Amino acid sequence: DDLRWKMPVAFSTNLPGLGSPAAWVADNLTTASDGSIQVRVYEPGKLVPPFDILQSVSDGKIAAGYTWIGYDQGKVPAVPLFAAVPFGMKPWPYIGWYYYGGGHEMLQEVYANKGFNVHAQLCGIIGPETAGWYKESIKSLEDYKGMKIRFAGLGGKVLEKLGASVTMMPGGELYQALEKGTIDGTEFSMPAIDQLLGFDQVVKYNLFPGWHQQFTAQYMLINKDEWAKTTEAQKALVEASCTAATTRGLAEGEYKNGKVLAGFQDEGVHAEQIPRDVLLELKDVTDEVLKEEASKDADFKRVYESQQEFMETYKVWDERAYLPADL
Amino acid sequence: MTVSEHDAPKGGYTPIPVADEFLHHHTELPTTRISQWLDAAMTAIGKGASWLWLVVTGVIIYAVVSRYVFGQGSVLLEEVQWHLAGAGWLLGLAYTLVVDDHVRVDVLHERLSLRTQAWIELFGLMCLLMPFLALAVYEMVPYAISSWEVGETSQAPAGLSHRWVLKAVLALSFAMILIAALSRLLKVTALLFGFPKPIRIITGTENKEDAS
Amino acid sequence: MELEALFVIGMFLTFGVLLMTGYPVAWVLGGTAVIWTLIGVVAVEDFGANLWFDYPSSMGLVPERIWGIVESETLVALPMFIFMGIMLDQSGVAEKLMKSMVKLFGNVRGGFAVTVIVIGVLLAATTGIIGASVVLLGMLSLPVMMENKYDKGFAVGTACATGTLGILIPPSIMLVLMADRLAVPEASVGDLFMGAFLPGLLLGAMYVAYAMLRPLFQPKVAPVPEGIEKITWSVVWDVAKAVLPTAALILGVLGSIFAGVATPTEASGVGAMGALLLALISGRLNLQVMNSSLQQTTRTAAFIFAIFLGATAFSVVLRGLGGDQVIEEALLGLPFGPYGVILTILFGVFILGFFLDWVEITLIILPLVAPVVQHLGFDLVWFTILFAMCLQTSFLTPPVGFALFYIKGVAPPEIKVTDIYRGVIPFILIQLVALAIVFLVPEIATWLPSVAYD
Ligand code: NA
Ligand code: NA
Repeated sequence: DDLRWKMPVAFSTNLPGLGSPAAWVADNLTTASDGSIQVRVYEPGKLVPPFDILQSVSDGKIAAGYTWIGYDQGKVPAVPLFAAVPFGMKPWPYIGWYYYGGGHEMLQEVYANKGFNVHAQLCGIIGPETAGWYKESIKSLEDYKGMKIRFAGLGGKVLEKLGASVTMMPGGELYQALEKGTIDGTEFSMPAIDQLLGFDQVVKYNLFPGWHQQFTAQYMLINKDEWAKTTEAQKALVEASCTAATTRGLAEGEYKNGKVLAGFQDEGVHAEQIPRDVLLELKDVTDEVLKEEASKDADFKRVYESQQEFMETYKVWDERAYLPADL
Repeated sequence: MTVSEHDAPKGGYTPIPVADEFLHHHTELPTTRISQWLDAAMTAIGKGASWLWLVVTGVIIYAVVSRYVFGQGSVLLEEVQWHLAGAGWLLGLAYTLVVDDHVRVDVLHERLSLRTQAWIELFGLMCLLMPFLALAVYEMVPYAISSWEVGETSQAPAGLSHRWVLKAVLALSFAMILIAALSRLLKVTALLFGFPKPIRIITGTENKEDAS
Repeated sequence: MELEALFVIGMFLTFGVLLMTGYPVAWVLGGTAVIWTLIGVVAVEDFGANLWFDYPSSMGLVPERIWGIVESETLVALPMFIFMGIMLDQSGVAEKLMKSMVKLFGNVRGGFAVTVIVIGVLLAATTGIIGASVVLLGMLSLPVMMENKYDKGFAVGTACATGTLGILIPPSIMLVLMADRLAVPEASVGDLFMGAFLPGLLLGAMYVAYAMLRPLFQPKVAPVPEGIEKITWSVVWDVAKAVLPTAALILGVLGSIFAGVATPTEASGVGAMGALLLALISGRLNLQVMNSSLQQTTRTAAFIFAIFLGATAFSVVLRGLGGDQVIEEALLGLPFGPYGVILTILFGVFILGFFLDWVEITLIILPLVAPVVQHLGFDLVWFTILFAMCLQTSFLTPPVGFALFYIKGVAPPEIKVTDIYRGVIPFILIQLVALAIVFLVPEIATWLPSVAYD
């Protein structure tokens, strides 16, 4: 019997890299399976609110979902490590670790350990986010003190430790809040996406590097009972489609960001680097936060250590093999 | 109920021009002993929860002031706001059903006889409201339990923990509407079939005053 | 697609018929969802209908969807603006305004009507709900206008229509609800508040023009009152004093949003606190008043949220039965071009407004049509404001016109229902003209949000 999967997504499919792979995967699966798996995408909130995609897939109310799984860190503390990690890996080492370093298997265990009945498949990745959009440039750690900023995820916790007043406003309110000074800064995503929200029109400092999110990964979550119903051929097709979507999503962002960023410069946006000493201090605080999280959750600890271990060996290669960016 | 120069009370208490009074047409059902009891409980909870609006106002003022005066805003305070506001209206749903303040299209309804209205009420309760509530409660209980089982917290690191509490309030509030609906069902059967024994006829507006 | 279209029509029809029984709207929505879940499941499982429909992904998702409503920060503003409106009602601010302004405009032909409209606009900029303003304006102005032999229809129409401005001129719970349902950055609560500002003032100005022009041609509708004192500086001073608290509140709420001191949600709390203080200063606040105001807030918020609950179930079942595609294809298949689609939607909303109230239309229809409008490349703020103006008109259109119900409740007994209907007709026409103006000159809605950001 043909499988019909309703697939709610957490991001609008018009967002490059973040939402577009979901539409691509849905089309590709339907076409390549000759209709034996039909996937219908539901834009954010149409079927189920983005924050509840995991729950409703796990409960079997919907067969599949496509989301940034970091939204579920309130239910599964270890998932941020698979979604975006401050001072974490770049996209390609991340997929290296995920496919070959046991990441994929660990993610299934992490969900199972919390009682969630899902099969998770890496199905999209984008490169670094910008470190955010600010009214003023950042010269020292002191500058974060008292700053009103929208910052999601573990990075937000780091800034909170530094005395910033961190909020989690929804994307729709950011432009106005930034323009009116309700907040002094915000991070959102990579330039090709930030552009759609118009931040460049209201504040002029766009900071780099995106220390809080070097990679951002999206996953296709499939209810495990539904997954069990698929044939080997269908399973292979889902895996292949998601792997391809991961590549294509990354490609789309990498292709578009430079041009968008250059356009920002023309409009008088200052693209500035956060000074190295500030980054080093941010890294210290981040390590502290991650260790704290690791002490609270066994799965977090295990995954964190696995990633750290891989990053140590990867560094040996990374430092030497790639050309410096300015050459 | 006109307020003009001469009959305006000198300071002190002015009667509230409750806008709803002019809008809601209430079916005047008799009450029963059990209904009286159930209604009183639902009303007390709803009225008690009303004070949350004052608390939410306070929390918002505190959040704004602390952001500008002390330079600190927080995810925590934002979450406290929607937790309290959510609890406020959720717990008020059953109370609103008891005082029959839900909006109706009254065009035909108010011209019908009391018995016809009661038949409509019986149909609505049995075929529309109660099935809807029953399904909702049936789905909401496991939803709250799974939140409790995984120890769900806010997705913001600095947010509130114990999400299950508000999710339990959600399930509870629907169970409460179901109770209020049951009480209403008894009043309807009391009118139509004399069972359970009707106590006295009360009007919706009176009901609002003495159900406390 | 045939079957889907049939189901969608069937679902709306069921809703319409059940609504006419007079059973509460919220539960009719929820009940219709249950009935059609049953029909959908039977159709798929017993008759092999080719539908993407099942129970878990429709009614089964109700808790998740309701939780999404509970955890919306934007919606915190809804009960807060209601509380603010009720408290403002208690503070007696409007009474004082009325008493002092009547002296200022009283000796002009149509002056009482103009006074009502000016006060109505000021009230509209402080409160986000209609019930309170219609009741208040009716109670304060109708006895005075009757005493001065105003035409009954002219008087009651003015009070009634002016009272509805509160739902359009920000702050407005309707705009809060719309922003929440749209959930797109280009139409945030702030954008909609700014976008509605000028169209609201335009309507106010057109009302004033009507109130001044009609007596010129028909002096009988508004006789020049006798025995009104001449305007002195002390009268002007009284007006200034009476306007002050209202102006402060407008500054506090709209000012703090437009200046970026607070988000719309925070501004609602600031407004509630402001109204609370005004009531306190006026010496009318005591435990009993506080208690009943809080309870009324709960009942009003609960009846709106209850419709929300029913509507979210209705929508998810409708979507499960393929409603989105049916409606999108129907709209895009219209042969009138993009502007024709907009006009069709607005006409549909205007007609629906006779029978349904703004909450249902906002919750069910807006999310269905917004993607189509966006797809056609229109400015969503402009469209939403047009939508909002249609809904504001729905308060005045019988049989289900809430402003009519409210005003009937407070009007002196000599004013008959027919007077009310006769009185609001000119205002409905004015509404349609204003709608046409904003349709033809979108800048009225889009200019303020755009300059605010450059
Ligand atoms: Na208003
Ligand atoms: Na109407």
